[in-house]
Amino acid sequence: MIVGHLKSLKEIASSIAGCRQVLVLGCGGCVTVCRSGGDAEAHDLARQLAHPEHFQGIVPGLAVATIERQCENDLIKSYLKIPEDTDTILSLACGAGVQIVADVFDPLPVIPALTTTFMGGADEPGVWREKCQGCGDCLLACTAGICPLALCAKRLLNGPCGGSRAGHCEVSDDIPCAWAKIYTRLEKQGRLNLMDEFRATRDWRKAGHKGPREHRRTGIALGTAGN
Amino acid sequence: MIYFQVNEKCNGCLSCVQNCPARALDSREEGGIQTLFHNMARCARCATCWRICPQHAIEFQHMLENRWDEVVAHELVRCAACGEVVHTAQLREGLDSKVRDLAEPLCVRHKMERQAGMQMGRQQPAGGVSR
Repeated sequence: MIVGHLKSLKEIASSIAGCRQVLVLGCGGCVTVCRSGGDAEAHDLARQLAHPEHFQGIVPGLAVATIERQCENDLIKSYLKIPEDTDTILSLACGAGVQIVADVFDPLPVIPALTTTFMGGADEPGVWREKCQGCGDCLLACTAGICPLALCAKRLLNGPCGGSRAGHCEVSDDIPCAWAKIYTRLEKQGRLNLMDEFRATRDWRKAGHKGPREHRRTGIALGTAGN
Repeated sequence: MIYFQVNEKCNGCLSCVQNCPARALDSREEGGIQTLFHNMARCARCATCWRICPQHAIEFQHMLENRWDEVVAHELVRCAACGEVVHTAQLREGLDSKVRDLAEPLCVRHKMERQAGMQMGRQQPAGGVSR
């Protein structure tokens, strides 16, 4: 899922200073699950922002709403009804959701309340860790299901660097060496031969280095609902 | 509670069933009747059904906003002194029998007042103030 965390209250308040009526908009998708931008967090943020100490002038009026996913243009267009006097939307969605909402309500300012941090998973309840860089050319099949692009600080493709010490990364003893993990798991799988395979320099255009990427599935928009 | 609702425009073409990526929709035929089924546990609420329906028959707003489902109801136990809700009767039943017999249902405030009263009683021996 996409993981994000709430910006500081000071930064959020500063970004909506001067607004008259703000809609604090939670998202019911990924950021609800990682407890940073769902309905509960949207209400909590509105409660905190309502305190006059955050604003030099007038405290903006604050309404709260949440919609299942802010990252789907047609759903937002059809089902998100905002109060008429709204002059700013403060979105608690990931960066994708903020941009879709901004497109739908253009030219209404849509301000992010979150910083989107990574694509990750919950290793244990309440702890989300980065797992995927969205590189566009998945190599997990030959790295025992452990991504060196996401988990190695140097993003090495062909084994560990000289800074790997007793299974830890030289950056910090708290960080496991991705390649040590890959080696250990490949050994358990009886597939250590994969360590000898040379992985050539990647085509980073697939990772977005030649512009924004697109995923297109035909046939889905036949009914053109909401249009 | 029905979350997935279609209006009278649905003509049973089953585009929604064929295109649901979560296989949360199914249809069954019995006795000359075709029935559409939806499984909320499988549904990803991706709205593909809503987008693809050529009849615009899917009322997706019910998937976004709906009433609350009643799940379970428990009898409440109230503070013997003030009537504030303390816990459920089932929670009380789960306590060890010795504790349950001793534990008069009291809210935090009245429990603290009761304990303070008992401590004062212990500090003040019978027969007057100690010298």
